[in-house]
Formats: sequence, structure tokens, C-alpha cells
Amino acid sequence: MRTISKKLNHEEIEAFGKEVDALREEVMAKVGKEDADHIRSIYKIYRYTEILGRGLIHFSFEPISFVAGSLILGASKIINNMELGHNVLHGQYDWMNDPRFNSRTFEWDIVSDSHQWKFYHNYMHHTYTNVLNKDHDYGYNFTRLTEAQKWKPVHLTQPFTNMFLAMNFQWGVGAHGYRVEYMEIPKKQRKKKSLKDYKAVFFKKIELQLVKDYLFFPLLAGLNFPKIILGNLIANLIRNLWTYAVIFCGHFTENAESFSVDDITGETKAQWYLRQLKGSSNLDGSNFFYTMTGHLSHQIEHHMFPDMPAKRYREVAPRLKEICAKYGQHYNTGRFVKQFASVWKRIVAYSFPDSIAGKLMGNKKKYLEPTGLLSQPSFQISLPNEEKSATLI
Amino acid sequence: MKTFPFIYNEPRQFLSSLQGKQWADFLLGEINPRFSVTTIKAKVVAVREETADAKTIVLKPNWLWKGFRSGQHVPVTLEIAGRRVTRYYSLSSLPKDKYLSITVKRQKGGLVSNFINTNIKKGDVLELGDPTGHFTLPKTLPSKFLFLAGGSGITPIHSILKQLAANQFKGKATLLYFVRSFEDIILHSSLEEIAKSTGWLEIKYIFSDVPKEGYDSGFLSKEILQKYTEDLKSYSVYVCGPAPMQTKALSLLEGIDVKSELFLLPGQTSSKVKKTGTVDVFLSLSHKTIQVKGERSLLEELEDQGIYPQSGCRMGICHTCVCKKAVGSVTDLSNGEVSELGEENIQICVSRAESNLELEL
Ligand code: FES
Repeated sequence: MRTISKKLNHEEIEAFGKEVDALREEVMAKVGKEDADHIRSIYKIYRYTEILGRGLIHFSFEPISFVAGSLILGASKIINNMELGHNVLHGQYDWMNDPRFNSRTFEWDIVSDSHQWKFYHNYMHHTYTNVLNKDHDYGYNFTRLTEAQKWKPVHLTQPFTNMFLAMNFQWGVGAHGYRVEYMEIPKKQRKKKSLKDYKAVFFKKIELQLVKDYLFFPLLAGLNFPKIILGNLIANLIRNLWTYAVIFCGHFTENAESFSVDDITGETKAQWYLRQLKGSSNLDGSNFFYTMTGHLSHQIEHHMFPDMPAKRYREVAPRLKEICAKYGQHYNTGRFVKQFASVWKRIVAYSFPDSIAGKLMGNKKKYLEPTGLLSQPSFQISLPNEEKSATLI
Repeated sequence: MKTFPFIYNEPRQFLSSLQGKQWADFLLGEINPRFSVTTIKAKVVAVREETADAKTIVLKPNWLWKGFRSGQHVPVTLEIAGRRVTRYYSLSSLPKDKYLSITVKRQKGGLVSNFINTNIKKGDVLELGDPTGHFTLPKTLPSKFLFLAGGSGITPIHSILKQLAANQFKGKATLLYFVRSFEDIILHSSLEEIAKSTGWLEIKYIFSDVPKEGYDSGFLSKEILQKYTEDLKSYSVYVCGPAPMQTKALSLLEGIDVKSELFLLPGQTSSKVKKTGTVDVFLSLSHKTIQVKGERSLLEELEDQGIYPQSGCRMGICHTCVCKKAVGSVTDLSNGEVSELGEENIQICVSRAESNLELEL
């Protein structure tokens, strides 16, 4: 993967890391009542929109209020999953010591089980961001997004499979979780549970979600049940499309880089910061837009500080941008339409073999070029077990 | 694990996943912040100044409050800078009173006691837990009581005295109240009132810091005990005060029936934590106690001993390793901050044991 950022030497990288650390510390020191109030009001909005959405779907007589209800329920699910769920599950609000906002007790309105999700997202994805074969979110195991992934004819279908994924994103995320969790457990500790047990956890969550949306609420409506089922389908579809779009924009735009397992052996915290920067991309927009993305519009900041209350990314962003400029590092950001187009360009381009893909992407160099992260480590990410090799299915 | 159909095999768990309670709590809370189906919430109906640095907070709890016995204490949870913190306070009111009350004295460096004294006002809502403690009166009352109170340790004793008065106690009671100075006497008028109206109570104030004419000064000692009691063995003794007084009392009163309650000073305790080489870590879910050195992160030290808690990034970003610490103090390796001793969630991959710990693992 080519990089458009300046290559830094070891000292420069460490200095960069120091500045980022200082920024983090300064902002984290401010975390307090304001953040607690914010998440509480988000919680309120989520609850009220769910009442309103379900109420409208339930009691609507004509299409307009029905569609409005479905849209509002969709928005409610988006808030529940993103600004509330995603951020709470990251432990951003654990310090509040409030069970409603605690990563250990929170459960969200999506088929992915929160515990499994925390494992493969918080740990695998955020530690090994964009590291091929280690970050299972990278292309979700079926999308080819870089020359470092070998082309196979099946990749020709990826524009279509991605459209399918976009519409069913929650299923993709959920189905992903249990496999990753199982495969990443060191063999010695695996004995007690089989893959089936992990699958069972996921299936349980699926059942809960299906029964809630497509049985419980429809039954409440008696003979009107088809209307309720349709409303829930629309709401879930909206949420799926939106989360897919936001997450793909955050990781797979044209200039978001990928890495190999070798790149990160002995990586220091500063190098880790740099990798987070290079592997993520931001979206510009209004404050309302930011909130609706769960502040994943600030994917760069989120990847550097995953446990910082997400609204704080707004104040971090301009200052991080300055630091990046100072070190000649590309800060990947743009409007939603531009970034989303860029993602799709990449999905389409890499569905073809490298010769065509290269042309479509406008790459001069064809093969992976080390991104210059590596030098003598001072602090090591310690891997919890000896089986560092990625086990993918 | 039984799963499909889950709704049939585990209907209760299924129902709870619909979050009925959370919904009810949310909607009730929108109507009145005191309403809840899960938590005892109480509204502050009055704040009374007792001394320059102690206040009595009068509370009106919701329907989940089941009452208490005089001398018990209650966990009080309130929010400081967005964070919920819990402390135990003795109830200073009578069980049959319409409202309940706690009396809180400012402690030097005490986060919560100072917050309550400065910020709590009429209309605020606090969370309470169930009252606990055995510092209460027996079913059949003895004829003679000796009460030893130190500082804020007067609050449960005050409640017991009021209870005795309400029960038309016919015997005799002596209260020795050790306090820094005359101005520091908490619940002064109420105590005098009990003494005057009942006639069976004798109160002696003993000042440790600022002596006063006509009063004793100093700390708890054999002489003081002898001066105000005859035949110690015939008393039923209640002691409530800070640790040094407690220890002293227990040694002076050996062989006598004593009920005692330690009064912990919040801010003070954390400074007492000293590293002593190895510390004990009690793992409450696996009922195991292990020793760790407190040199590296708890996660690593546990793993050294073959215990593998959940972990992920091992650098403090993913919160996979978060675990509840019930007791003890840890140092946050990322910023060197020493935690408080109470209950809280910690990331064990960036926490080093500072004192004996109890972890929910
Ligand atoms: S293991 Fe990731 S925060 Fe402790």
C-alpha cells in the first residue's frame, strides 16, 4: 500500500506520540459532568424516539405517519447502536459508575451480542487496526481492498456482496463476532467451550431481536401485525445502511492504509498512534451529523482514543490536525459523499485483478511498500498468547 | 447451554432482555426523579446545620424503602462531577419518623462528606441502599447502658438514644462523647433535649483538642471510665468512633459485652495504604486468595499464577479486562494515580496492586 504521508524516523515518531499523548491527557482531565449530561440526554432521546417511532407505526392510519414512524424508529436504533451503544461499550463512560452506561452491563438493540462484539471490535479491531489477517473488520473477510490481498475471481462479485452486506450489516457484524472470539482464544483455553457454544450466544441474541421486533410488538397490534413487521423491517434496514456507510467511510477510503503482521511486531505506542492515523478517515459535517454517526465521523480521533467520551473528538480534531500537519502526516477527511464515493471506487477497483485495479486507483507502484512504521521498539504491545499467527476461516 | 427456542427455555431471561425495568425506571423518572422500580431514591426535604461543619440531611424515600432499626447505617449514592460515588452513613432519625435523616460531618480531604456539606440542597435526589449493621438494640433491654462516642460516631448512638426514649426506657444510661471541642459537638441540642425530657441519661462531653472550663479533656482512658461508671461489668456497652478510639475501648473493656462500630474516615484511609511487599488478592467469584507482589500490572501478575482473566489490548484502550474491585486500592499505571479504597471498576491491565484487594473474578 502506498502512503502519501511523510516518512518519519524513530525520534520523529516518538515525538509525534508524545504530543498525541499530551493532547489526550489534557482532554481526559476535563471529562466530567458535561460528558455525563451528554450521554444522559442521548439516552433520553433514544428512549423517546423509540416510543414515538413504535407509537406511530402502531397507531398510524395512513402511509405518511407510518413511514414517519419507521424512520424515527430507524433513527432511534441508530442512536442506540452508535452514540449510545458503541461508545458505552468502548468503556467511554465506565468512570460514571452508572449501570446504564457501563460497558459490562450495557446491551444494545442489534443482533450482535455485546460481549462478543467487545472482544472482536474493542480488542481485535482497535488493537490491530487495518492489519491484514488480524483485524477481522478489514473487508469483513470477503472484500478485497488492497494489492496485499490476493485476487480471486470471486472478488468480481464484491460490489454486489457489499450491497448485500450494507442492507444486512447487523447480521454481518454479529455472525462475525462469535467466530473471531473463538478462533482467537489460545488453544489451551479453548478446551472448555466449543465453537458451538460461541455460536449459541449469537443465536440467542438473534432470537431475542427477532422475537422482539417481529413477534412481540406485532402481536400487540393484533390483526394489524403485518404493518408492524414492515415498520420494523424498514427501521432495521435504515440502521443497517447507515452504519455500513459510516463504518466503511471510516476505514476503507482511498488513502486509508493497511498493514501486515510484520509491520507491527514490536510496535511502540507512538507507532501505534501513527498506524491509527494512517488507517482511518474522517467525515466532515454538522454537529447533528456527528452525533448521528456516534462521532465515528471522527474515526481518526476514535482510533487514537477509543475510550475518550466521543463528543470530545470535536475539540480534539482541530488540534490533532495541527500536530499531523507539523509532522507531515496526511489527515484523511472529507464530506460524506466524497468519502463514500471513494470507498466504492476502491471496492469496485479491487474487485478486478491488480493490473486493472492499479489503473483504476491511479497507483504508480503496484506492490505493497512498507509504510515506514518500524524501528527499534521502546514499548511493546505484548501479545497475550504465543499463537500470534492469525487463524482465519 | 439450552438455547432454541430461548424464549421457551429461559423465559425470565428473555423477558428481562426486553428491558421492562429500565423502561419503567426511565418513564417514572421522567415523571418524578424520586420514582423508580429498582432503586431506593430519596428527595432531600430539608438541610439542617448542626455545627459549622456538620449538616443533617432529611430525606423522603420512595416506596422501595423498607425501614430500618436505630443504629443501622445506609449506603448513600450521589453524583460528583458526573460520577456516582457511594458512602455509608448512620441514620440519625428514628425508624417511626415520617422522614429519615443522616448527619454528615466534613472530614478533612473527604470527597463525599465535603460535597454533601457544600452542595446538597433541598430538592436534590440521592440514591440509598438497604440499611445494614448490627449496632442496634437487643429485644429485651438491659438496665444499664454505657455509650462511648467519638466525633461523628455520635450519629448512630443518637438514633439509639432516641429509640430508648421512644420505648420509655426505665433504666440508666451514660454517654461519654469524645470530641475535639465544644463547638464540634454534633446534634448537641437534640442530645440535651433527650437528657432533659427523660431523666435517665447522663451526658459527659470530653474535649480532645480545646479544653473548656468545667469539662474533662483528653482521650478515652481507664481513669475517665472509672470516673463515670461503677462496676463496668453491669453495663451493656456501645462504642462508635474512629479506629484508635475503638481499639482503646476494646482493650479497656475486655471481658465485657461490647457492641462496637468502626467509623471510617473516608479521605484518611487511602493515605494509610502502605505497600508491604506482597499483598493478598481475594478473587470473589472463584473463592481464591492469591499473593501478588504489586510490582507489575495485576493482569500480568495474575497470569503468572495461571489465572487468566479476560484481556485484550493489554494497554488500557479496549476495556476488555475491566473488573469490579470491591475493596482495596490500586495505582493506575498510565498516570500514577492511586485509587480510592471503595468499590469501583478497574482495568487490571493498567492497575498495580497497592493494598490487599478483593476483585470480582
Ligand atoms: S486489556 Fe485492553 S484495557 Fe485492559
